[in-house]
Amino acid sequence: MLNEAWIEPGLNHYLMLSAIIFSLGLLGVLLRKNAIVMLMSIELMLNAVNLTFVAFSKYSGNINGQVMVFFVMTIAAAEAAVGLAIVASIFKRFKEVNIRFFEHLKG
Amino acid sequence: MTTDAFLFWFLALVTFISALGVVVFANPIFSALSLVMTMVTVAALFATLNAFFLAGVQLIVYAGAVMVLFVMVLMLFDLHKEKKAFTQGAFSGSVKLLLGGLLAGLIVGAVSMSKELYKAISDQAVTNSATGIESTKALGQLLFTQYIFSFEVLGILLLVIAIGVVALARSKGGTHVK
Amino acid sequence: MDHQTLVAVLLLAPLVGFFINGFRYRKHNHLVAGAIATTMVFISFVCSILLFLNLTEMKEENRRIVVSFFEWLKVGNFKAEFSFVIDQISGIMILIITGIGSLIHLFSIEYMHHDKGVAKYFSYLNLFVFNMLLLVLGSNLLVMFAGWEGVGLCSYLLIGFWFSDESKAAAGMKAFITNRIGDAAFLIGMFILFLQFGTIDFANLNGLAPSTPTHDWLNPLTIACLLLFIGATGKSAQIPLYVWLPDAMAGPTPVSALIHAATMVTAGVYMIVRLNPIFMAAPNALLVVAIVGAATAVIAASIGIVQNDIKKVLAYSTVSQLGYMFLGVGVGAFGSALFHLMTHAFFKALMFLGSGSVIHAMHEEQDIQKMGGLKKYLPITHLTFAMGWLAILGFPGFSGFFSKDEILWMSYHSPMGHPALWVAGVLGAVMTAFYMTRLMALTFWGESRVPKNIHPHESPALMWIPLVVLAILSVIGGWIGIPHIISEILPGHPANIWEHWLNPMITKIPGLAAANPQEEWTLMGVSVTLVLLSSGIAFIFYGKASELPSKLSENFGGLYRLLVDKYRVDEFYEKALIRPFVWLSENLWLHVDVSFIDRCTHWCSNFVKGAGAMARTVQNGNLQQYAMYMALGLVVILSYILMR
Repeated sequence: MLNEAWIEPGLNHYLMLSAIIFSLGLLGVLLRKNAIVMLMSIELMLNAVNLTFVAFSKYSGNINGQVMVFFVMTIAAAEAAVGLAIVASIFKRFKEVNIRFFEHLKG
Repeated sequence: MTTDAFLFWFLALVTFISALGVVVFANPIFSALSLVMTMVTVAALFATLNAFFLAGVQLIVYAGAVMVLFVMVLMLFDLHKEKKAFTQGAFSGSVKLLLGGLLAGLIVGAVSMSKELYKAISDQAVTNSATGIESTKALGQLLFTQYIFSFEVLGILLLVIAIGVVALARSKGGTHVK
Repeated sequence: MDHQTLVAVLLLAPLVGFFINGFRYRKHNHLVAGAIATTMVFISFVCSILLFLNLTEMKEENRRIVVSFFEWLKVGNFKAEFSFVIDQISGIMILIITGIGSLIHLFSIEYMHHDKGVAKYFSYLNLFVFNMLLLVLGSNLLVMFAGWEGVGLCSYLLIGFWFSDESKAAAGMKAFITNRIGDAAFLIGMFILFLQFGTIDFANLNGLAPSTPTHDWLNPLTIACLLLFIGATGKSAQIPLYVWLPDAMAGPTPVSALIHAATMVTAGVYMIVRLNPIFMAAPNALLVVAIVGAATAVIAASIGIVQNDIKKVLAYSTVSQLGYMFLGVGVGAFGSALFHLMTHAFFKALMFLGSGSVIHAMHEEQDIQKMGGLKKYLPITHLTFAMGWLAILGFPGFSGFFSKDEILWMSYHSPMGHPALWVAGVLGAVMTAFYMTRLMALTFWGESRVPKNIHPHESPALMWIPLVVLAILSVIGGWIGIPHIISEILPGHPANIWEHWLNPMITKIPGLAAANPQEEWTLMGVSVTLVLLSSGIAFIFYGKASELPSKLSENFGGLYRLLVDKYRVDEFYEKALIRPFVWLSENLWLHVDVSFIDRCTHWCSNFVKGAGAMARTVQNGNLQQYAMYMALGLVVILSYILMR
């Protein structure tokens, strides 16, 4: 039933894997209550995207995709830093990091 | 089954399980550890794709720096295991689950159906892709010639972020006067 | 300077004055405000003179300066340029407006110096001058209409200048609303003209006017002319819309002089003269104009006989004199009407300013029964006022004589005239002589009836200088239009400059017979004799304290009361027009507005409110819900792309 083409990894396999990981990250963002775990889920999504970039880079022979991954990593690190700083502020105020408390940011 | 195929399927399985762990573990520390695992396997996947430099960066920046930051914050807050890890609302929760499943299903379905198209690309590309040290060299050259401006801007951005984060972290918590 | 700059300065100087005084009306005292306003109008006056001199140097065939600033409107084939034309007619008008305007501004400085809102007053006055210039210079009906509305606004503002007095504010509103009726007719007339000729430019309109007159009452041209004339009756205070002008005397006296005697109220006459080829093509409309003019002249003069307020007498006199002008245009004597417009501007402005001087001296007392014998207190005012009196009387040699006599002669002689119109004109002149002599006698002559607590004094120089200038103009102003038969017997035979100047702009009256000198002399003699006789009688009645007037008023009690009540026109309008209108408005308000329209609008707003309340729940600040919408959008877009 599993033929040769299915078992041998190709571009499609990487893309499907990254899609699944991206969806898992999305579910984490949508469902988790803890803001820190939400940030982790975002990292998950970014990693999935990075995987797509690298896979395409490899299979189209274009190294530009890897440059993009490099930039995404940098931005991801910065985003995590800012996100955690905000979470820290929220924690100082409410002694908890429930995402519900971000409602207080609305005008 | 070749070694490549075995490696891929193994890494894919571990990545999936650890990613699932990030989302479902009620204790944030376990989530963080699962995330580290995911980072490592993704780095390994990079390596299977000949992106050795990125694999290294992934390990150092993500698994090293960013995850340490997460774990530090978690320890700082001293968070216990949450009684309810997920937000309330059975209806909206199921809608969200459905949405996530739909998204994954749509993409996976689309990709698997368009197999022939990608096959064409991969056939001609695999052969002329650089290996090992050559890919790192090409990446470096590209980064410091064509993308030098973006690279420098990114440096400034990081500086700004660093200052901003310090300012945020020093604040008393919220702008509202108590 | 080229013409464009000159016209721009001419127009904009008063507007600049308006803005300066308008924005700083709390800061400027009467000297600063007055100096600014007067200077601005004087600048306009200088520009007018320069332009007028340019005009005289041009060849007679194309004696017109056209200045176009920009295209104002263009809708389909409707086109209106924001452009101005200076030709024989508007050239004279701008001289009158800015010249007399400067004098009246000068007079106002002293007259208004007690008032707190003096800078506001001057800014309105400047705005008026600007709008009036817009009115007379506009090269098409639309620009004219803009000025037409603008002067109406300024008139309203200035009549109700002392708006804390409710009756004065009401007078302003009355003027505004009455004018509005006329303005609506004016607009419709303008539309009809556009439909007929496809243009509203004066030059084009006059060029397109049919050369053969139509005698059909329902011809669009006749209707358009009648509607324009209704507009003129509003602005120029003719029957049936004259009722606002006597009430307009609530405003400061210099305003009455400038707006309600010399300039604005003559706009209707100016408009008809401007469109004279069109009106000549609709003789039926002109017949109506003549009859209305003659009737107004007689009726207003008869009311003037019994008035006791010095300004009311002058107001009715103005209405009556405007009637003469319309009588003139009605019989096709457009030049004579314009001539009377000018001389009337001189002597009526003079008399209003003179009355202002008297009121100033009498400490705001306007009742002539409490005056008398003011001659010895106000020598200069008396002398200048007497010049105006002689001019309006039509005393031979004075300006009013030439212009009024020409209108009377034309109303008899022109094929469009009728002896009955002449009789009405003479009757009006006789009554004018009577009430003007009465005014002179009661105010300046005879024994003093001044209350003990008032000590009249001559006005300062700033006030009497304009009086003297206007008095001189009232005397000599008519000498540029001396009729043929008189110049024949005068040494040097002075030419009729006026007629010669206006000739190219005025349509010839078809079938005008050569004048019969004997006939003309006879008519002139009759009218002058009657006028002198009438003023003699008035002098006997009022020159000394006499029983005659009161006896007369007792014997003709009914007629006297009717005159005192101004023919009860205001009461009639109140009952016949205003009451039903108010009733209708109230019903519309209660049964249409409140119960239907309000309900509809409330329903709409409630619907929007409800929808908003529902939509608001989406934005609840729940970040995860926002993210869910994003994911939803992603899924929808993705499935759309894939299913396509």
